[in-house]
Amino acid sequence: MATTQSPSPNSNDDKPQAVSAELVQQANQVQQDVRPEATKQSVPASVFVNSEPIREDQVSNAVKFLSHPKVRGSPVIYRRSFLEKKGLTKEEIDEAFQRVPDPSPSSQPASLSQDGQANSLSSVQTQAPIQTPQPLPAAPTGIVSSGTVARRQFQWYHAVSAVGLLAASGCGTALLIKKVIIPKLKLWVRKVVLEEDNDYAKKIDAKPSLAEEAAAAAKAAAAAASDVAKASQEMLNSKNEERRRFEEFMNLMDAQVQEMKSMSNSIRKLEGQASSSGRAFSDHDDHRASASSTKQSYANGNVDVNVQPGRSFTLPASAEPPHPKSFMEKMEMIQRGEKPSNIREVNDMPPNPNQQLSNRLITPRTKPWEAQNGPRQVLQSQTSAEGLNQNGVDSGLNYMVDDESSTPWWQRKNVRITEIENEDEVKAAGSYGVKTNEQPSVQRTWVPPQPPPVAMPEAAEAIRRPKSAPKETAMQEQLADEQSAAHPSEVTDELQRITKMSESAGAVEMNGGFLTGNSTVIQEQENSYEGN
Amino acid sequence: MPVFKTPFNGYSVRFSPFYESRLAVATAQNFGILGNGRVHVIDLASSGPVINELIAFDTADGVYDVAWSESHDSVLVAAVADGSMKVYDTALPPQANPVRSLKEHAREVHGLDYNPTRRDSFLSASWDDSVKLWTLDRPASLRTFREHAYCVYSVSWNPKHADVFASASGDCTVRIWDVREPGSTMIIPGHEHEILSCDWNKYDECLIATASVDKSIKIWDVRNYRVPVSVLNGHGYAVRKIKFSPHRRNMLVSCSYDMTVCLWDFMVEDALVGRYDHHTEFAVGVDLSVLVDGLMASTGWDELVYVWQQGMDPRAA
Repeated sequence: MATTQSPSPNSNDDKPQAVSAELVQQANQVQQDVRPEATKQSVPASVFVNSEPIREDQVSNAVKFLSHPKVRGSPVIYRRSFLEKKGLTKEEIDEAFQRVPDPSPSSQPASLSQDGQANSLSSVQTQAPIQTPQPLPAAPTGIVSSGTVARRQFQWYHAVSAVGLLAASGCGTALLIKKVIIPKLKLWVRKVVLEEDNDYAKKIDAKPSLAEEAAAAAKAAAAAASDVAKASQEMLNSKNEERRRFEEFMNLMDAQVQEMKSMSNSIRKLEGQASSSGRAFSDHDDHRASASSTKQSYANGNVDVNVQPGRSFTLPASAEPPHPKSFMEKMEMIQRGEKPSNIREVNDMPPNPNQQLSNRLITPRTKPWEAQNGPRQVLQSQTSAEGLNQNGVDSGLNYMVDDESSTPWWQRKNVRITEIENEDEVKAAGSYGVKTNEQPSVQRTWVPPQPPPVAMPEAAEAIRRPKSAPKETAMQEQLADEQSAAHPSEVTDELQRITKMSESAGAVEMNGGFLTGNSTVIQEQENSYEGN
Repeated sequence: MPVFKTPFNGYSVRFSPFYESRLAVATAQNFGILGNGRVHVIDLASSGPVINELIAFDTADGVYDVAWSESHDSVLVAAVADGSMKVYDTALPPQANPVRSLKEHAREVHGLDYNPTRRDSFLSASWDDSVKLWTLDRPASLRTFREHAYCVYSVSWNPKHADVFASASGDCTVRIWDVREPGSTMIIPGHEHEILSCDWNKYDECLIATASVDKSIKIWDVRNYRVPVSVLNGHGYAVRKIKFSPHRRNMLVSCSYDMTVCLWDFMVEDALVGRYDHHTEFAVGVDLSVLVDGLMASTGWDELVYVWQQGMDPRAA
């Protein structure tokens, strides 16, 4: 009680056992005195705090990632988000950020006083060469992936065009063979025959036959040439035809690709941004910029036409669920700029912002999981139930009467101990909104249950100490904000809340826990108050 | 089993913690893209399988979530897509409603959760990447928790530790927070895709379930959060909302874009113990009653709200 508490109330306040909490607090204090750096890691009492030591291999990978030039250009929050997704704890991420301007893996900061470093060092060497390629390509893969996709498409194009060209050239060579080579062969055969004839005739008249021969040869050559020309023309024509056909084909493919691109764009617009880690950060940036640029005043349908992509969840394209047809129609309509006709002007502002809430009719009930922890709570709710029950029906007998006609259809299968106030609920539900005679009488005869026994003597003492303050209910969380003027009021607020809690049929467990938390807090306030 | 038809597309349904037969439904026009919203307070008639509407409140923009107050039986809070939250008191005449408009978020408020143990505060999760803490008696938020890198879809109070809560975000992480701490106390990189919902186990305060766009539900123990305790596969599309049973330790219910509501027992080898495919569009809201064991409700974009007992067919007459 007289000990000075260092500000770390988180770890011990959740323990429901009030008696042990004090011991744990003292033990914790001893721990903190021994270790000068009171990091969260040294106080493992709360299970909701990460108590793992910093992993050196993760930190070194993170440092490599953060040192990458592309990563350096991205906003800090996305770097942090990426590392968080990789499973690094806050401490590891902070450590990596600290190290980035001076990436020396041998430096070990003072906070790394945890065990297991020797073990991790040996595994670092085996893991590091495997893991180092991972963070680096992780960022550029996003950019590369789009390139490979395009490249694949290019290859596809290339393949198709290559096939087409091959076909065309094949046809052309076939034609060439048909049209040119065969005539050439024929010519050659004719030549040979002619030569033979000429040879035969040469012996008779050599000179004039030479000239004739030459003329004949020239004629043949000319014929061959003309044939070749014809053949080549035909080949050219066929090639042209092929080329035209091929171009048409290519145009069709282009059109199809365009359609597919536009479809994928529209799908992407609907999806928003895919959150797979492979994406480059620049994509994320653009999306956020467009999302945040939409105006806020989209009540009553007066929205800037640019419907923010965040309204539908991101999905990998392969796993997109089939949206209802009318949903797609509405999306398209809105993206085109048309407003759906069924939107009305609605004024949903409160007519009286200071309107008092109505008095509650029913005390809060214990939850089923709280009821399991102790039978006392059920008894408490029973006493309040008896107060509420007007008609003199013994509430203990209510749930024994399992008459088919009296229990509603939704309760027929299950009768549980928490359903003591069945009849009341049915009546209360029936009299909703209308102040019947029942309700004022309910409040009159309601007997507040006894306050729970005091679990923490320090808290009780603190409660008994008078503090003057303006009447104002405040949350315990406000203590995090340093407002010295509000401290006395907060103590009284705690007192009010303690009395409130005791009024309600809350679990003693809860009260115990609350009181425990309060005592720490109250002690803090005491100390700071005394210190002032 | 009764059905309630809403004029707008359903987004969320919640049982009242005070009245077994009462529910609140959050709906939004035009699938929540653009348009008005409406909050319905409906009641299960004890006479037969009929659902009556007690009252409905219109809002300027779509309502994405609704939460009943744990301290006042007639008060509920609605999360509106224009970034505000409206507080309604059904015990007051309709002209007096809403009693409060809490506007601080820069973008849509997507999730709400009321503290079930301390009963006086509630959290709002917004697409502006932040979570805010509120009480009904203050017009301004008490705390803002800003650490997520993307939309926060869901928040859930720990059922045992009144200061601890978890938030699920589109940055693929779940963060555990303590309202007394300035920042998050734990980060669970649970999935490779966006996490749409999270909920604590009511009987084991160290277990938390997360539901993701990757169609799976994972159960985590915060004491050893590197590896999930269990992975529940079975949904065909993104899982939109999960809720642990307030009555059974190992049971939880989920609803998904595959239009089904599934019941799971994560301690069993074959975890899927029930599947209800009554919706004809995305099933986006599901809830289990705290007061009646086995009573469940769901709503979806098909503008219908079903309430049924576990084990029975929701569409049965």
